[in-house]
Amino acid sequence: MIEAEGITKRYGDFLAVDDVSFTAQAGEVIGFLGPNGAGKTTTMRILTGFLPATDGSARIAGHDIFNEPLAARRAIGYLPENPPLYPEMDVAGYLEFVTRIKDVPRARRRSAVESAIERCGLKDVHRRVIGSLSKGFRQRVGIAQAIVHDPRVLILDEPTVGLDPIQIREIRSLIAALADPGKSEARTIVLSTHILAEVEAICPRVILINQGRKVVDSSLAELTAEGQSLEDVFARVALRAGEAA
Amino acid sequence: MRHVGAIAGRELRSLFVSPVAYAVLTLFAVLAGFFFLLSIQGFRETMNYYQQIGQFDVLEQINLNNQVIAPFIQVMWIVFLFLIPGITMGLFASEKTNGTQELLMTSPLTMWELVVGKFVAAGAFVTILIAMMGLFPALLFLDADTPILGWIFSGFDLAEPDPEGLQMLAGLLGLWLLGLTYAAVGTFASSLTRNQLVAFFLALALLLILWLLSVVADLGVAEGAMGTAASLSTVLTWLSTSDHFDKLARGLVDTRDLAYFAFMIGAFLVLTKTSVESVRWR
Ligand SMILES: Nc1ncnc2c1ncn2[C@@H]1O[C@H](COP(=O)(O)OP(=O)(O)OP(=O)(O)O)[C@@H](O)[C@H]1O
Ligand SMILES: [Mg+2]
Repeated sequence: MIEAEGITKRYGDFLAVDDVSFTAQAGEVIGFLGPNGAGKTTTMRILTGFLPATDGSARIAGHDIFNEPLAARRAIGYLPENPPLYPEMDVAGYLEFVTRIKDVPRARRRSAVESAIERCGLKDVHRRVIGSLSKGFRQRVGIAQAIVHDPRVLILDEPTVGLDPIQIREIRSLIAALADPGKSEARTIVLSTHILAEVEAICPRVILINQGRKVVDSSLAELTAEGQSLEDVFARVALRAGEAA
Repeated sequence: MRHVGAIAGRELRSLFVSPVAYAVLTLFAVLAGFFFLLSIQGFRETMNYYQQIGQFDVLEQINLNNQVIAPFIQVMWIVFLFLIPGITMGLFASEKTNGTQELLMTSPLTMWELVVGKFVAAGAFVTILIAMMGLFPALLFLDADTPILGWIFSGFDLAEPDPEGLQMLAGLLGLWLLGLTYAAVGTFASSLTRNQLVAFFLALALLLILWLLSVVADLGVAEGAMGTAASLSTVLTWLSTSDHFDKLARGLVDTRDLAYFAFMIGAFLVLTKTSVESVRWR
């Protein structure tokens, strides 16, 4: 579903992402970890086609993001670091607009919007103007926007930031349900987060990057096999980087 | 191009829930009414002058198209100069501040669909403005014994002449094309910055330069420049919007002037596309 090969991004002299490669199969949920400024957002922006890579290539659902950008983007649902919302629009109108630019067939638009509203707990606010919503609700609209066209690949940049504990639980079970291979079509999900408990709860696989380099890529079970917690692993990597710097 | 409607429709809906659209519409209606009355006033003074000096043959030739409608359309460019940048300033700048460019640029849209969608939204607004101001000269076409014509010609010993409909439509076409060109320039300005105020003044500056190019060209000629400068001044005059617009406003439809506006709109949309794309290549 996702095949990333040697993705590299330079901002001038600064190497933000350095030769990151990985592949992800349908049904996988990958926790994308790393200290602040590690390059998580930058990598996600490259995978979604928002930023061009300085080097490397990526395929989404079999489509090269540089050579077949439209087909690749059709397969992606993306929640950016800051949810991309129009404050003056109401929730339902906004989601309807998203279905149109994401090529959802006309006949399915209404049900797609209703289902996203339902699944993200937006029923009570779907006629409200987005600008008047609280931060958590705006985050939910951001998630709804990412899943409304039922994409096969979901890239979520810190999806649970600002949500209340109950909503966090609901979003986590939503993510698990989307990836569940028992469903007709399994999704592939990459999510970045700073909440390690979240990774332990829903991400069977962990990719840890630090200073732009991939330093860990393994299953959660393997990582924590020797009795160490995910936090230990994270701290060790981050600290080692701190010493090197 | 099938996403153009989605982009333009969303833009227009956002425009019409914002106070900017209504401020512009109100200001435009007031200014159009004011300038229309001013044109009529000027017309009456001209007639008065010829009546007093007894040049009745000139008086007979005076007509509403050249003395009222054309000056009215010509003066409206200055209203467009200030109002259209107000409409276009948010087109791309607000996508950057909302972070919604990240949604648009990761959706299966082409860059052309995005740019054209934005331009179509601004163009639709310009069309509404033209329809609104067209109502004023349309009043002159009401039956000759309606109050307005009676008032205009009151105190003159004249048959009330009928205005020419096609000539007026040609003038409105000219103003419409001018408005679309301004919308394209404003769209470009908005794509250059994330600050709406900067986009507004940038558009204003570009439009003024575009208008004044012919003045610059005239200055060059007046200073007795040489052959190369003469051809340069031809180019500058051609690039300037003023002459092309003036001809159309007076009702002279020339395909060369139509081609000029088409060229300018196309050129600024290409520039906009390049500028929006370059965001990716930072
Ligand atoms: N437009 C830019 N120009 C220059 N440097 C940039 C730009 N965008 C990001 N960077 C740098 O690239 C590095 C990686 O940033 P990125 O946003 O990908 O980190 P992150 O892993 O998402 O961090 P966080 O956990 O804080 O969200 C940072 O050092 C950042 O300063
Ligand atoms: Mg980030």
